[in-house]
Amino acid sequence: MNLKFCIAALVCKVLAFGANLLGGGTDSPGRIALKLYPAVLRQLRYDGKIIAVTGSNGKTTTSNLIAHVLRQQGYSVINNEKGSNLTSGIATTLLCGATLGGRLRADYIVLEVDECYSRFIFADVPADYYLVLNLLRDQVVRNGNPDLVLEKVAAAIAQRPDCTLILNANEPISQQLADCGNQCIYFAMDKTVRSTDTCVSGTHDCRICPRCFHRMSYSFYHYNHLGLFRCEHCGYRSHEPDFLGSGVDFAARRLLINGVPVEVTYNTTFNMFNTVAAAAVCCSASGMSLEQFARGAKSFHVAKERLDSFAFDGRKTVLMMTKQNAASLDQSISYVLEQEGEKTVVLYINNVLYLEYKDISWLYDVAFERLRGKVANILCTGNRALDAAVCVKAAGFTEPTLVYETDLDKTKEAFRKTKGDIYILAASAFGNEGKILEVLKREDR
Amino acid sequence: MKTVKILHLYADAMDLYGDKKNLEVLCQRIRETGAQAETAPCGLGEEIKLEGVDLVYMGHGKARSLAAMAPHFCHYSEEIKAHIEAGQLWFVTGNARELFGREFTTVTGEVLPGIGLFDYRGEEHNKVFVADMVGRAAFDETLRCYGFANRTASLVYPAGNPSPLFRQVSGFGDGDREEGCEGTLYRNFFATWAMGPVLVRNPGLMRELLRRLGLDPTACDFSLEERALELVLREFPDQKNG
Repeated sequence: MNLKFCIAALVCKVLAFGANLLGGGTDSPGRIALKLYPAVLRQLRYDGKIIAVTGSNGKTTTSNLIAHVLRQQGYSVINNEKGSNLTSGIATTLLCGATLGGRLRADYIVLEVDECYSRFIFADVPADYYLVLNLLRDQVVRNGNPDLVLEKVAAAIAQRPDCTLILNANEPISQQLADCGNQCIYFAMDKTVRSTDTCVSGTHDCRICPRCFHRMSYSFYHYNHLGLFRCEHCGYRSHEPDFLGSGVDFAARRLLINGVPVEVTYNTTFNMFNTVAAAAVCCSASGMSLEQFARGAKSFHVAKERLDSFAFDGRKTVLMMTKQNAASLDQSISYVLEQEGEKTVVLYINNVLYLEYKDISWLYDVAFERLRGKVANILCTGNRALDAAVCVKAAGFTEPTLVYETDLDKTKEAFRKTKGDIYILAASAFGNEGKILEVLKREDR
Repeated sequence: MKTVKILHLYADAMDLYGDKKNLEVLCQRIRETGAQAETAPCGLGEEIKLEGVDLVYMGHGKARSLAAMAPHFCHYSEEIKAHIEAGQLWFVTGNARELFGREFTTVTGEVLPGIGLFDYRGEEHNKVFVADMVGRAAFDETLRCYGFANRTASLVYPAGNPSPLFRQVSGFGDGDREEGCEGTLYRNFFATWAMGPVLVRNPGLMRELLRRLGLDPTACDFSLEERALELVLREFPDQKNG
């Protein structure tokens, strides 16, 4: 027995147990274990298969869906369900799941991994399957543009030539990972009623072919640059999918995957994609049938944290979280547009990261134009409220539709001047995302 | 009615971090002055026609896209330089600036030529550099501006930046350190690493462009933008008395 490993794993388990009781984070136990013994993850031995999930959008939901379906099929699964997806969070999950001898006795390890950190994680964790959902502009202050992220993901894959890749054939940037030479399985979605002929999102990361840089053609778009693509110049195109979602019925929350009916709990385009991707992973990794997948997927529920619904002054209020991610905010706008009745959209926008950058450039990548004439008010709040208002003005809104309040303590009054149901689109920034809720739920003085 | 003719170079390839809104809002502002705006995109494989163009815009793009556009762009180097020397209005953001120097390095370590209008050299680091920047406009030093850099390359000058767009800059220069100045203003050629979008968030810069297009910006209402900018500038403690 490796004593160093034993100590590090034990410390991690004890700290994680304590953190669980006291409501602490899932990151620090792993971080401390890695400090005590940097090679701690290399000592692990796995009885089952390792599935890693990454992408700009949907990794928490999809990895939890995969874990859920596998469990429903009777498999034992260890996963980082709360989305601690950096090296330290992965270490916490793995060490807590391991014996002191370093064995992980689960049939499957399902890990959500950060796009930029997977190269460090894969150095020690031998992933058998790697699902890359999509690559879009996301948290640009941290990540830059998707090309930079693509390289980091490719560097992770280069360390694991035996890992099977599950790639999105509707996403031209990450589909290029097939160039790594690993075995690939493709998933895609057929045109839905929400598909469009032109890109209606605020940003499009692949107007030009990523291989030859000539203009890319799309038969249709799902959202942003995801759709059925082809380059007339060099022939780069959507790969023939092994798993195809079709016949999407958003109202009935149903779709067909390779012709097999699958019911889903959430009726967004994002979630339909996540479901097809999860089916591709579950069926490929475990050999389960699509019918078995469908039985498991039916009872899956998304973690509540990113969508919260409550009443403010008797008005229906919905809070939607994003992480400075324009595509996700565009999807929230699509959701708002589908809701009946008079409504107000509230933007809650703050400085970025602990360095308090005043940047809101990512907000200009959102198509606020789509809300024109569809909302009673747009209220900008948070410490970047005025800058957000300038952005919304650029999309064609004027006072009195457009209003703003920089002082969080006056947010309630500002809300009361707006009309209809309230949809709060909040960009989380280092833990202050909950503050607007605290203020709204606070008793009036 | 006057029509402002705008050429948007590599619109499909060179657009990151909300940058295209610079041009969209500029067109709105042009219309507010009572003029018309007409934007024509020009992409890879298409002829760059500068004759009769009032403003040329080129934005920030992925490093690979920039490298792919460079040979096409440099094919027109003499014509481009002649038009800029003759006073044509250009507005260039981000790494597109690298095309105007002597040469620049790419992600793969290749060295590609620029058009050589300026003496600097572009260096690609393939690593994200971000920073806030506040400074004063070179054309009006009472005017304080804000910009945000989000880039993977920098510019290296053999003997300092001879014609910056911003002076008394804190935050970053054209490289990764504070250099006291940032950007380029040469005749009517404006260039900066600052995102924002910089023209939208800095009404003073927008006004100057409108003036240089021969338009009168007094009809435009910048009050919201002014207030927003003031609030940003107030948050930079070193610049309180500005």
